Formats: sequence, C-alpha cells, structure tokens
Amino acid sequence: MKKSMSDYELIEEFVKGEQSCFEELIRRHKSKVFAYISLYIRDQALAEDLFQDTFLKVIQSVKSGKYYDNGKFISWVMRIAHNLIIDHFRRVKQLNTVSNDDYESDLFNSKKLAEANVEDHMIKRQIQKDIRKLISQLPEDQREVVILRHYSGLSFKEIADITDVSINTALGRMRYALINMRKMMEEKKISLTFN
Amino acid sequence: MAKNSTPFLSYHEIQVDDVDIYEDAFGLYQEFGDVFKLLEQLKPVPKKRLTKRLIERVRQMN
Repeated sequence: MKKSMSDYELIEEFVKGEQSCFEELIRRHKSKVFAYISLYIRDQALAEDLFQDTFLKVIQSVKSGKYYDNGKFISWVMRIAHNLIIDHFRRVKQLNTVSNDDYESDLFNSKKLAEANVEDHMIKRQIQKDIRKLISQLPEDQREVVILRHYSGLSFKEIADITDVSINTALGRMRYALINMRKMMEEKKISLTFN
Repeated sequence: MAKNSTPFLSYHEIQVDDVDIYEDAFGLYQEFGDVFKLLEQLKPVPKKRLTKRLIERVRQMN
C-alpha cells in the first residue's frame, strides 16, 4: 500500500501521525541521499552523521510546515543534504582542522564481499578508489552533476533546479565531466578490470 | 503484408522508466558508455544498521 503512494501522500499521512510513512520515505530515498553525501565526505562516521541529520532536518521542516509540495520532494531533500555539507566544510575551514582529503576511510559496501575472494576484493577496492579519485578531481560544478545524476539518480530537470542552472547547462556540465573523466582514465590507464 | 510487417507498438508500451529524456536526447550513454560502465563499479549504499539507527531516532522524535 505505502509503496504505491507518492512522496507527498506519504508526507501528508506522516504529518497526520502515521509514523511508518516517513520510514517508507527513508527506504525509498536513502541510497540517493547517502551516495550524494558519501561522495563528498570521505570520513565514514561523519557521512553517516550527515545522512541522519538530513532526514531529521527534513522531519523538522515538514512538521513546522516548511515543505510545500511541488512534486520535487527528493530535490528538496538533496538541497538540505547539500546545505549540511556546505555547513560542515565552513566549520572545518573556520576551525582550520584537517581537510576532507586527509581522510582515507573506505565508504563502500560492496555487494556480497564475503563471497568474493581476496584478490577480487582487492581489485574491486582499487577500482573503487580510482573512480573516487576521478570524481574528486573534477571541477566542482561538473562533479556535482555526476554525483546527482549517476549516483543519486536525479533527472536533469531536478539537477537544474537544485543547482540553479538551466537544463542545458547541467547537460553540458555532465558532458564535460564525462570527457574529463575519459581523459583521466586514459592518462592514468584506469580500466574496467573487474566484473 | 501482415506476416512481414513490424509489430505495432503503442505509445504506452514504450519503456521509458528510468529514462531521462534530456539525457537520452543528448546521447550521453551511447557516447560515454565506457565511462558509465566504470562509474557503475562504485555503489555507495548505506549500511543496514545505519538505516535502522535512523529509523529508531525518527521514532524517538515522535
């Protein structure tokens, strides 16, 4: 039943007191939000905190009537996540502590890792590390589009809304990002060696 | 004619789930299939315990 409800219907029911409707929203969108945050924040514990904070902030905003549906719930959630990431980097800058680049923790849950042998696991980890590096070396505006489109699954229309640019600009940034990544792949001889 | 003609496909039968029409029009997947294939090797997903912890916190808030 809940699975067939729209995001807005779930929010409406949640505001009326149906707790489980928000849990459905979390299940529905958790991967998009987590992917976005974890590709910006390398520290796993911090990424997990921001992931939770995003949804808790969504609840506060929904309950205080700050969400007006225009069919863009996930775009709105991603904007909240984006603002929390920005706030984090501002705080780090003010405190003049270690930069994000200094963290080297592994964030990725590979599927059925337990079943894979050690060598496959190591190759896979290396490829994931390389991909992460490729993405991190893109200019900020291009990186954002790649993460939002490829890892968070937003449409270009939603990306254009979040990033305050036209759809054509978002598409253009994606194209440049892909060109740049291919170039880096060739330069660094990164290829798909694991399937 | 009926035996060799292309079966008629109605508008509703065209599979458009998960297709972004702008992206499709730009032909990004066709042009950069190798890059997308590489990107697909990375799948950041939240751990089950993290989702569980979040749902517990949400329940406590209410």
